[in-house]
Amino acid sequence: MDGRQSWQSVAAGAFAGTPVALGLLVTLGAPASTERSVTIQTFQFKPTPIDVPAGTRVSFTNQDDITHTVTSGTPESPDGKFSHRLEGKGASFTVDLTKPGVYPYFCERHRSMRGEIRVK
Amino acid sequence: MKHVVSSIVGAVAAAAILAANIGEPIARAEAQQGHTMAAMTTSSTKASGLRSTLNTLFQEHIYLAAAATGAALGGREAEFKAAAAALDANSVAISKAIGSVYGQGAEDAFLPLWRKHIGMVVDYTVGVATSDKAKQDKAVADLIGYTQDFGAFLQSANPNLPKSVVADLVKHHVVTLKEVIDAQAAKDPAKAYTAVRTAAGHMQMIADPLAEAIVKQFPDKFSS
Repeated sequence: MDGRQSWQSVAAGAFAGTPVALGLLVTLGAPASTERSVTIQTFQFKPTPIDVPAGTRVSFTNQDDITHTVTSGTPESPDGKFSHRLEGKGASFTVDLTKPGVYPYFCERHRSMRGEIRVK
Repeated sequence: MKHVVSSIVGAVAAAAILAANIGEPIARAEAQQGHTMAAMTTSSTKASGLRSTLNTLFQEHIYLAAAATGAALGGREAEFKAAAAALDANSVAISKAIGSVYGQGAEDAFLPLWRKHIGMVVDYTVGVATSDKAKQDKAVADLIGYTQDFGAFLQSANPNLPKSVVADLVKHHVVTLKEVIDAQAAKDPAKAYTAVRTAAGHMQMIADPLAEAIVKQFPDKFSS
């Protein structure tokens, strides 16, 4: 299962029937127009924050030899939009973001690890 | 006791392997460049300064941690708060040492990771103080799991530091500090202070290879 498949299942399961879910599913069905990469290295998301246009596909790649997660929201307030475990070095996850807004995210295992994507 | 002894043997072996992995290429390079004698003419090199700093900070970590757990177990609240504050200042200093080599981002990432294991030690101490075996066991399990995170962090920062070796060394740090806390809880000061010296002495097995690996990674920074 790749990141997008997992993301789809999370979105479908947790948000089916909500306006948010509709936006995400439409997003997942459309091809991303641009791509950006975020690397997880030495327990940091790099670079962060990033500013991207709507429709950008953002990929996360774990370069640490330990499990991290990419979980939307903040440790104090996860928003359930996406959450994916990257089980060790080389694991990756992609998410397509077409809806403008600010998307904070963090690692559930190391809650001081935080990042942010600003979609315009 | 057998477990502790085997852990000590394991940690010594791990440190030896790490030192050998790091030390040989450096020694070879120095010999080839004819710098060996020059390096021996002073103890005030940048590399020796790094090693000295890391040893001081890591040993201070043990003494302050032991002061904090001893005060906590003895019910001396004001002393505990003072020791805990000093221990956290030491944590910040260690993080700044990491940041001086790997940058602000690494410093910011390291500090919460380092503080995390102190929180687990506090949990263990509370478990001992309240005779809560389940809490003690969970804290020990968390600490053992933490060693993998710590090893992964250092390996990511410096490929000369294998995750498994670092994890074993940190595991021994956990074991030796646990001995201190258990002796303090048993109100056996002789055993406790012997354990403190053992735990502090072991930190050299972490500080020395860390310093060596950093110098190997950034030879230009530490060439004088």
